[in-house]
Amino acid sequence: MTSTIDATTGDTPRFVRADGPDKVTGSGRYTADLTLTGMLHAAFRYSDHSHARIVRLDTAPARDMPGVFAVLTQADVPDVHYGPSVADRTLFANDVVRYEGDVVAAVAAVTPELAAEAAAAIVVEYEPLPIVTDVEAALDPDSPLVHAGWADYRSGDVRDRNSASYSSITKGDVDAAMANADEIVRSRYVADASHGAPIEPRAVVAEWEGDHVTIWTSTQVPYDARAGVCETLQLPTNRVRIIVPHLGGGFGGKCGFHFEAHVAALARVAKRPVRLKFSRAEEFLVPDRRREGMVIELESGVMRDGTIVARRGRAILDNGAYTADAGFFPQVAAMHIAGPYAIDHVAVEAHIVYTNKQPSGSIRAPTAPQACWAAESHTDEIADRLGIDPVELRRINAVDEGRVGPSGQTYGEIGLRRCIDIAPGLVGYGDELPDDEAIGVAIGWWPSFSVPSGAIVKLDDDGYGQIVTGAQECGTGAVMTLRQLAADELGIEPERLRMVYQDTSVAPFDLGATGSQTLFNNGRAVVAAAAQVAEQLRQLAADRLEAAPDDIVLAEGAAHVAGTPDRSIAIDELARIASGGELLIGHGSGTPPAAPELSGSSCIGDNGMAAWVAPQFSCHAVRIRLDRDTGVVRVLHVGAAHDSGTIINQIGALGQVEGGVMMGIGQALTEGTRYDDEGRQRNAGLLEYKLQTCADAPPITTEFVQIATAGAGPRGAKGLAEAPNVATAAAVANAIAHLVGRPVRHLPMTAERVWTAMHRTAEQEAAS
Amino acid sequence: MSESFQLRVNDVEYPLSVDQGRNLLGVIRTEIGLTGTKEGCDDCECGACMVLIDGQPVNSCSYLAVQAQGREITTVEGLAEGDELDRLQRNLLEVGGVQCGFCTPGMLMSATALLAEHDDPSDDEIRIGLSGNLCRCTGYARIIEAVRRTADGA
Repeated sequence: MTSTIDATTGDTPRFVRADGPDKVTGSGRYTADLTLTGMLHAAFRYSDHSHARIVRLDTAPARDMPGVFAVLTQADVPDVHYGPSVADRTLFANDVVRYEGDVVAAVAAVTPELAAEAAAAIVVEYEPLPIVTDVEAALDPDSPLVHAGWADYRSGDVRDRNSASYSSITKGDVDAAMANADEIVRSRYVADASHGAPIEPRAVVAEWEGDHVTIWTSTQVPYDARAGVCETLQLPTNRVRIIVPHLGGGFGGKCGFHFEAHVAALARVAKRPVRLKFSRAEEFLVPDRRREGMVIELESGVMRDGTIVARRGRAILDNGAYTADAGFFPQVAAMHIAGPYAIDHVAVEAHIVYTNKQPSGSIRAPTAPQACWAAESHTDEIADRLGIDPVELRRINAVDEGRVGPSGQTYGEIGLRRCIDIAPGLVGYGDELPDDEAIGVAIGWWPSFSVPSGAIVKLDDDGYGQIVTGAQECGTGAVMTLRQLAADELGIEPERLRMVYQDTSVAPFDLGATGSQTLFNNGRAVVAAAAQVAEQLRQLAADRLEAAPDDIVLAEGAAHVAGTPDRSIAIDELARIASGGELLIGHGSGTPPAAPELSGSSCIGDNGMAAWVAPQFSCHAVRIRLDRDTGVVRVLHVGAAHDSGTIINQIGALGQVEGGVMMGIGQALTEGTRYDDEGRQRNAGLLEYKLQTCADAPPITTEFVQIATAGAGPRGAKGLAEAPNVATAAAVANAIAHLVGRPVRHLPMTAERVWTAMHRTAEQEAAS
Repeated sequence: MSESFQLRVNDVEYPLSVDQGRNLLGVIRTEIGLTGTKEGCDDCECGACMVLIDGQPVNSCSYLAVQAQGREITTVEGLAEGDELDRLQRNLLEVGGVQCGFCTPGMLMSATALLAEHDDPSDDEIRIGLSGNLCRCTGYARIIEAVRRTADGA
């Protein structure tokens, strides 16, 4: 069992998250817990086909039902196409439906049952259109189009027909380097789509007062949700207030703008508050957030000494019916199929391709687990071909200080080598193992995201204060950690500060619980805001202690003169004094660190995702046991070594690694969405879509490599929430390949697929 | 068809008049107004709605409210003594077993039942005892540790 003892102090951490008592007593409210007087219930009418033209839409049967207060279709809302990278959708399906979860109409009625009945009563007649499900076939110039009008959509991405976004990274001369290589290793892998599957299904409540609306919603990105409402309902920002009650997990699934505008529009027409609450099946089928399926082809030119000299790669990502936030995925996928390796000659590219399936979107480290799974399985295939230990092969090729990565970024001091040195030993790499056990190793990387953010810090007359921040807590504890940063600036206990957050009409902008960015960017803003208050306190103390403000130290609830702790004044006293004059209020944003320069490479379809600020690195080592009769794999122990910069909240950081690893094990072994021939999900429930349970949970041993990184966040912190989800599936795959004798080339590596791989002939393998 | 009956939840009697087909989860959340018990799937898959009925953990989404007449129902709101968290709640917080918190109420109820049955459960007994409660955030290790600590008297 992993210990929670703080490695640096030996103490048991006593840090209890500020929202913790709400969560263990049941007093904390989540969106679906809210009930407003006169509240109606929303239901959607979904598409009856995966791809069809609507030839008749008659809402009268629903509107005529007693107790139904609003029925909306696209004809009832502004004619706005939206989408963060490709403006390819409207609030309601307009003329054409493109996946089974496309929303055709919405109803608000007095009970959930009546709303569902009314939605079902709406008459929709369709003319079926050809259904596109296969990403490779979708790239064929003769393929039917998912969006016949694709060329007219507003977008800055490189697009062509069903290819919604394309990106490539090239460096050096791959053809020449391949020609001179000792060996060429080629691989092909296929990853199924999967889901973030937060335990809280999403909910939205909207209420209008006059011309302004308050929307309570289970979103990870309240400001993005507000922007979506304002864009689609044509409202100014200050008439839309987004409040997020406690959020029951997201994992990216609740990033983006989803159904806030639908519910707000219903509430406006009904003149009543309206609540939408998704069922578990809807949570699987409808949101534009699944982890995309992917086909990955890789080719590496390698020398006998283990040097990888050339990497060619192509990834085709399944976009689904609309682009959501997936426009930047091809470039991130390209980075991951190149991998954190100092390869001189690189030509990698990726398409994200429309199909008539649920749209894809950011799920925890989007594109990375699948692309890393493929690339790191390929790395082990190289090691196998060369007869080099796979850990050693990674040491030979990994990026490191002064080395140039695949996109032309030269690194300062980074911790990848140390992660590679640490993780395998955590699970006994090199030890004698029973013949049904093996250890697999993989390395991963992930950027920190440098974006604007803001915060306000204030101290009241009793010396207690508030941090008013746009940051969004989705469970990670990142927002909880902000108290520590501010408290340290002010020299007071973190418990003295209360968080005021998740309300867009109160706090400055923040990007939200996305991109592992909260501590990195909002931490910077909170420190800047607290520093202003600290400066005020120092000035007040200096006046009273007859010292220069720069000589005042704030610590342990008091201001004292440096070097003479007995010349001091309590911060409570300073706060009381300030309340009679200039109030103690600070605001901050700070300057986001600039992206590093790239050299020697070029990118088509550049979304800025090839130059990584303060990159994070990891090495995971996984020991498994294989039941050779059934193909069932059990994970016995995971070792995770991470360079995520300075760790500010040890217990929270360990929780991120453990949760990310566990999700990675699920992706490796059980989590995959199955589709029928028409792009419909066949396992949209938690019995059929298997998450890992407590009974499956292996011990996870984590070590953090904490080194100073240029461009990092507060106190040298980088992001952390996504990085632990990158390399686990790959490490599991490599352990399985050791036992099976060849890779299982289809993710998830279910017992059936493992068993099938064990029983393939060499001829079948060669033909695959 | 509506039926009038009483339910006893956390030592309080609630007179109710609800449809016979209503599940216990909906009645606890909507009629009784205790929203700590969560709905994650409405299909016995996730365990977020776990409550205790006469000390036994039950998915309240799939249990008729009328069936719970005359029984002792305990929800997450019934664990703390006033403002004082019980040891399991406190341990869960202190070891970091709570992240988003949505599975937490159900997890606490299953763990409470487990500890009532086994005062010194093995790690495997803890794993099996909590395997009806899905958690997506923590990887379970810290939840197991909190139960262990509680059993050890912390």
